[in-house]
Amino acid sequence: MKIIIIGGGEIGLYLARRLSQENEDIVVIEKNENKVKQILENYDVQVLHGNGSSLNTLRKAGIEHAEMVIAVTDSDEVNMIVSLIAGTQAKIPLKIARIRNTEYSKTSEILGKKYLNINLAINPESEAIDNVIKLLEIPGASDVINFADGKVQMIGVRINNKSNIIGKKLLDFKDGDFKGKFLIAAISRGSRIIIPRGSDTFFPGDFFFAITEPNQIPNVFKFVGTEGETTKRVMILGGGNFALNLARKLEEKGINTKIIEEDKKRCIQLAEMLDKVIVLQGKGTDKDLLKEEGIKDMSLFIAASEDEEKNVLVSLLAKRLGAKRVMALTNDLTYHQLISTIGIDVVISPTFAAVNSILRYIRRGKVISVATFQEDAAEAIEVVALETSDLVSKPLKDIKFPKGAIIGAVVRNGNTIIPTGNTVILPGDRVIIVAIRSAIPKVEKRLMVKLEYF
Amino acid sequence: MRAGFILHILGALIFFLGSMMIFPFLFALYFGEGDARFLITSSLITISSGLTLFFGFKNTGEEEISHKEGFLIVGLGWICAGAFGTLPYIFSGTFNSFVDAYFEAMSGFTTTGATVLLSIEDIPHGILFWRSLTHWLGGMGIILLSIAILPLLGVGGMQLYKAEVPGPVYDKIKPRVAEIAKTLWGVYVLLTAIEVLLLLLGGMNLFDSLCHAFGTMATGGFSTKETSIGHFNSIYFDTVITVFMLIAGTNFALHYQFLQGNFKSFWKNSEFRFFISLTFFAMLLVTINLKINYFETLAQSFRYASFQVASIITTTGYTTADFGKWPCFSQIMLLLLMFIGGSAGSTGGGMKCLRILLILKHGYRELYRHIHPRAILPVKLEGQLVPPEVMGSILGFFLLYILIFIAATLVMGILGMDLISAFSSVAASLGNIGPGLGTVGPVYNYEHIPFAGKWLLIFCMLLGRLEIYTIIILLIPEFWKK
Repeated sequence: MKIIIIGGGEIGLYLARRLSQENEDIVVIEKNENKVKQILENYDVQVLHGNGSSLNTLRKAGIEHAEMVIAVTDSDEVNMIVSLIAGTQAKIPLKIARIRNTEYSKTSEILGKKYLNINLAINPESEAIDNVIKLLEIPGASDVINFADGKVQMIGVRINNKSNIIGKKLLDFKDGDFKGKFLIAAISRGSRIIIPRGSDTFFPGDFFFAITEPNQIPNVFKFVGTEGETTKRVMILGGGNFALNLARKLEEKGINTKIIEEDKKRCIQLAEMLDKVIVLQGKGTDKDLLKEEGIKDMSLFIAASEDEEKNVLVSLLAKRLGAKRVMALTNDLTYHQLISTIGIDVVISPTFAAVNSILRYIRRGKVISVATFQEDAAEAIEVVALETSDLVSKPLKDIKFPKGAIIGAVVRNGNTIIPTGNTVILPGDRVIIVAIRSAIPKVEKRLMVKLEYF
Repeated sequence: MRAGFILHILGALIFFLGSMMIFPFLFALYFGEGDARFLITSSLITISSGLTLFFGFKNTGEEEISHKEGFLIVGLGWICAGAFGTLPYIFSGTFNSFVDAYFEAMSGFTTTGATVLLSIEDIPHGILFWRSLTHWLGGMGIILLSIAILPLLGVGGMQLYKAEVPGPVYDKIKPRVAEIAKTLWGVYVLLTAIEVLLLLLGGMNLFDSLCHAFGTMATGGFSTKETSIGHFNSIYFDTVITVFMLIAGTNFALHYQFLQGNFKSFWKNSEFRFFISLTFFAMLLVTINLKINYFETLAQSFRYASFQVASIITTTGYTTADFGKWPCFSQIMLLLLMFIGGSAGSTGGGMKCLRILLILKHGYRELYRHIHPRAILPVKLEGQLVPPEVMGSILGFFLLYILIFIAATLVMGILGMDLISAFSSVAASLGNIGPGLGTVGPVYNYEHIPFAGKWLLIFCMLLGRLEIYTIIILLIPEFWKK
């Protein structure tokens, strides 16, 4: 399949790499010459130098034959023009565009069927904000992924030094401890992700991923011995659009919010647009300011300034000053694994959130939903069990399951079943499978759940 | 500044005022009480003076009215209106002295409603109608009406509009100032007509209905009866007038939006919410106070309290009871309400709810700043930032208002008035209310005030009506520098 990606920024390149790994034909259009060279050298894709909104360039890229256009340049206007051209010049089945300006997405008419006909308008900031809000609702979780319309959730939890599950093997736990309530689908240790078996042991600093129903979530925290405090007070560093929109959401939820921004003009703008949020003028690195405004009482500190390195540092400072939970915004995916080991609770990445949404959208079909987590090391896939599959009609303990994959939950007629060895999957059940990336082809083959992506 | 040009424009205004005197003349003819000839003489003199000025001075130059000229035209326009407005009183011998006639005329145009008439019901109908008409003309603004009707003022009329309808913030409901003037006057006429109709339905005669509707919609307060609305002793009239006083005390731009079909406009407006909540809160407190200390029944307490609170906060000044005899708390409440006044863009006077609301917000912000020294908290109104210059202008207005109030009260004291009377007469004049407390209370009038005191109060009324700046800047030497 031919896919044209316009814009070789973070999102564009990430998608290009992922999709080319999946054997798609990718053409990237990028206007920066140096970048063009860099992409050519490092990626297995075709690269065109030129402006994405130019009809000629798009023709050269073969827009007439493309089956999908992904417009992810920095400019909303270019992305919209690309979608418009794609709609008129070619019969393109799928158009995905990054639209950051929320004004457009609010009036769905412009982006909708009648005019631009964009299949998926993606706003990285909003996606990231949604993730933050999801995390707020489950304090203590480092990741939250919803399946089956939120009936099943997978949450990531960090095991701290004091937890009494440290050193225990999964085998050591009795039936009542978690079996049937939730399922430990994966353990992340450093840069490695493990699909656990009975002999695996918990170490301090590990994250484990539990699949469960939302009402069982307190049991997960009881199990690990960390108690998430409900989010009452939030402090945000930086006054960009991400911070503004996040603050608006927090305001709606009635959470006490403070924003720290350096630029006085921007502060005034923020104060105008926000109602209950306290806008403070100052630097994030100003320890006195943080103390004065009660950093130690904050349930959450989010460093979301434009300077990504500063976000990392200031969130660490905030943690030291007593903030219960800290999040740092950084788009650079190379930092991610490093960051969680140094004490930052959650890394927010609009790029990653956007990529995730785009991938999830592209792959819908027989697969109901897909979520990558731990920076792409593993995937959680929601599928419908087919009659022909090896999965159905016998207890799970009798199925030879590939290494690196696990069945996390089964949803039958709207009821969630957390599987044990004796669970039997019936045809038509929704099954949530967690697998590390290398195991996915095996899952596909052996279980006859054909992961047809397009 | 072009003196000739200003006189030319003033001529138009005066001509216009003179033609308005035809209406009381018609009433005078109908009632046949011998005042018709005074009115027609006044009208002819005014019209001819106006025409003389208008044709005697040419519209020099092509330029529009400048900022300074705007202030001067409006300031002088109002002073002249007061002067020519005295003619019917003088010719008919209603008053013995010019100052009394001028007091009554200015009290009319500024919609104050303070009177120096001793026995209202002995005055011929034509003169009484003129008295009420001055309210109605002054309520929405004589100059605004001229802009609406005379096309020559339309160009550059914004300067005049700004000087006559000052208000803390402008909401231009139409792109052209002549259109704004027409719209506002249209709404004003419509609401007045509805009130007249409702009063007629309640059995009031046409003459009284018109005069009281004029007094209500202009938030004036002149009545044709000695005991004001209390004369009719009717719950129906009390209710109709209370409702229309509150309507008149509300921003007319909101009425316009309402008529356009935007029914939520009232509740979305924070000034209106403040105005209405404050009114009901004050009504509640006064009702409770009256029930405990004055009236027998709750219904009676509520009836008189609600009317009086509405009358004072909208700066109308109609009365149904002698609140001078009410318990202290109620009197203090009413006195405080005199300072607050109606909404910006209404016909009400006082400091205006919007200013009070913003000053309260500003005050809160100062407290807040002590808790969060680094916080940025601009004063906001309906999610919009109030620019610091506007806030400064409002604080300046507040300061000037209070300073003028204090200075005028001191002078009234020097003139020998007692504390309550001096205090309330100035408050009632500056706020364009009318009746005060003490010797200027609802059952008394302003006749006994010394000569100098009357001039001072006239000045206060004018200051209050044109929201201080327009008049005060004419007194500053800098204004006259070339």
